[in-house]
Amino acid sequence: MSTKTHSSDVERSIVDRIRASPFLTELLSNRIAVAGLSLIVGLFAVAIYARLVYDLDAIVATSFSSNPTEAAPSAQFWFGTDGQARDIFPRVLYGAWYALKFGTATVLASTVLGITAGIVAAYYGDLTDNVIMRTMDVLLSFPSLLLALALVTIFPESLGLWRAVAALTLVYTPRFARVVRGAALKVLEDEYIEATRALGATDPRLLIRHVLPNCLAPITVQSTLNYGLAIIDIAALSFLGFGANPGDPSWGMMLANGVEKGLFSGAWWWSFFPGLFLALTVLGFNLLGDGMRDALDPRMRDAVD
Amino acid sequence: MVSKRFIAKRLLLLGPVLFGVATVVFAILHLSPGDPAIAIAGERASQEFVEQVRSDLGLTDPLWEQYVRFLGNTATLDFGESYQIRRGAAVGDILADRLPITIELAVLGQIAGLLFGLPLGILSAVKKDTLTDHFSRVGALTGISVPIYWSGPLLILLFAQVLGILPTSGRIGSTYFIDSKTGFILIDTLLAGNLAAFQSAALHLVMPVIVLGVYSMAFISRMMRSSMLEVVRQDYMRTARAKGQGAKTTVMKHGLRNAFIPVITIIGIQFGSMLGGSVLTETVFEINGIGTLLVEAINKSDYPVVQATVLVFAFMYTIVNLFVDITYSVLDPRIDQ
Repeated sequence: MSTKTHSSDVERSIVDRIRASPFLTELLSNRIAVAGLSLIVGLFAVAIYARLVYDLDAIVATSFSSNPTEAAPSAQFWFGTDGQARDIFPRVLYGAWYALKFGTATVLASTVLGITAGIVAAYYGDLTDNVIMRTMDVLLSFPSLLLALALVTIFPESLGLWRAVAALTLVYTPRFARVVRGAALKVLEDEYIEATRALGATDPRLLIRHVLPNCLAPITVQSTLNYGLAIIDIAALSFLGFGANPGDPSWGMMLANGVEKGLFSGAWWWSFFPGLFLALTVLGFNLLGDGMRDALDPRMRDAVD
Repeated sequence: MVSKRFIAKRLLLLGPVLFGVATVVFAILHLSPGDPAIAIAGERASQEFVEQVRSDLGLTDPLWEQYVRFLGNTATLDFGESYQIRRGAAVGDILADRLPITIELAVLGQIAGLLFGLPLGILSAVKKDTLTDHFSRVGALTGISVPIYWSGPLLILLFAQVLGILPTSGRIGSTYFIDSKTGFILIDTLLAGNLAAFQSAALHLVMPVIVLGVYSMAFISRMMRSSMLEVVRQDYMRTARAKGQGAKTTVMKHGLRNAFIPVITIIGIQFGSMLGGSVLTETVFEINGIGTLLVEAINKSDYPVVQATVLVFAFMYTIVNLFVDITYSVLDPRIDQ
């Protein structure tokens, strides 16, 4: 960022604000957001490392004749071993890959569905708007985890964690639809939309090229906050027995097994480490999302100044 | 003053929403791959018997007939009979037994969240951008990031197993037998005049209420903070100060009252998480509320119970939110314009 050293502080801050992207500057000067971002970057690194280095079959397999069962953390087994003599450390790292893979799928699917529903509702209005948004209202009338629990039963068990992804996608879509519809309605009032339409732009072009880009800010915040929620909810469904298959290196499944079979007989490490990683991951997304919301909300920006 | 039109409008909307909720539940149950007839007759029953059960259940009727019948039964609160959990018992009775347990937990969790969340939010706003503020913000965000099914078991390990000062699970010590008059164990033990039992029940509630309350506290404190900061900048606050009122009185008399209003909406939304969280909390602490009932019913393919439980959860959530909306409009009359 270029600043004139001879200008007064007040002037400098004004110049800065005009020149730089206010959102990014705001976000990167927000220590909470940066802390969240660091956690997430770390998580991605761990996930990719685990995916490249470990063989999934080997860390799922239960026949490790040489390993002791339920061994406490040591130099050999950093996070100890579980009841099936599996080394917990690589399984926890691989869990990061699982969390990101299924979390991303959930957030991506619900974002796309929500954007489509929200923009279509805002643009066509009237009956279309009413049908779409009243459907969303009904879905929002259920406590989210409970609706997910009920929905999970629709999908065949063989889908494993994809069952949880499908159910949670349906649960989260209405939130995105609401946010997008609200933002789109504001954008649609702008004059350049009128102008673009007068120039003969087709509906899809108008919506994708002009309306959508102007709704991106609230969508991004919603996605980030939902990312953490998706990861914690997928793990919750697995914990309750609807999602990951036994043996899968998913944090929710490891937690369920570790709590049920190990925690109260002394093997605390079995559930402690998967839970710790899960909590840190969700914290990362919540810190980033919270920081983003501050950076985007001009009133908050004033309040901080 | 509150507009009667607004309340009437909200009440009228309740009908279609509940109708939609019932439709979604009907659709979910009919899209599920499980077969209720086999669930009742048993895996090894003969083909004829299964078919007999199927037609007895009315599952061979056209779908629209089943749908209309379902809506009629739901409207009259007739949820049918349980297949598995308490075979032959009316689902309504099972729910009546277990619903108070969940409500008690959710209400206490919410109260705990308010008791700690409100002061924390106010403190955070008053000491804006100080270490206290940052600490409470990160603390709140940590609170909503830690999964109940991790913190719960760890609390049990610490307080029940290692320190031995709190009971592990359940609702009351096994030596107490208390008549269930209201279903709320704290009230029932008091009605029975058994203080030892009351103490036991209260101790059993400590950890479940903590894990649920932390979640709620985090949201409420964040909301209270931003609401306070918003209110502090309003013109009437400056006016109050200008007329010579002290800073403390201004915050207490004009600030707090107005800052509470947006917080009320979050209580409604929070109640949904409380209900969702109750499924996990009840599972972790082995409490027989409707959260564990739902999980059990899904696992045992007890469809009438699944159906009724989901309906009751959605119904409670909707009613609480309706109540919150109306309260909000009473406190802030601008809302219905």
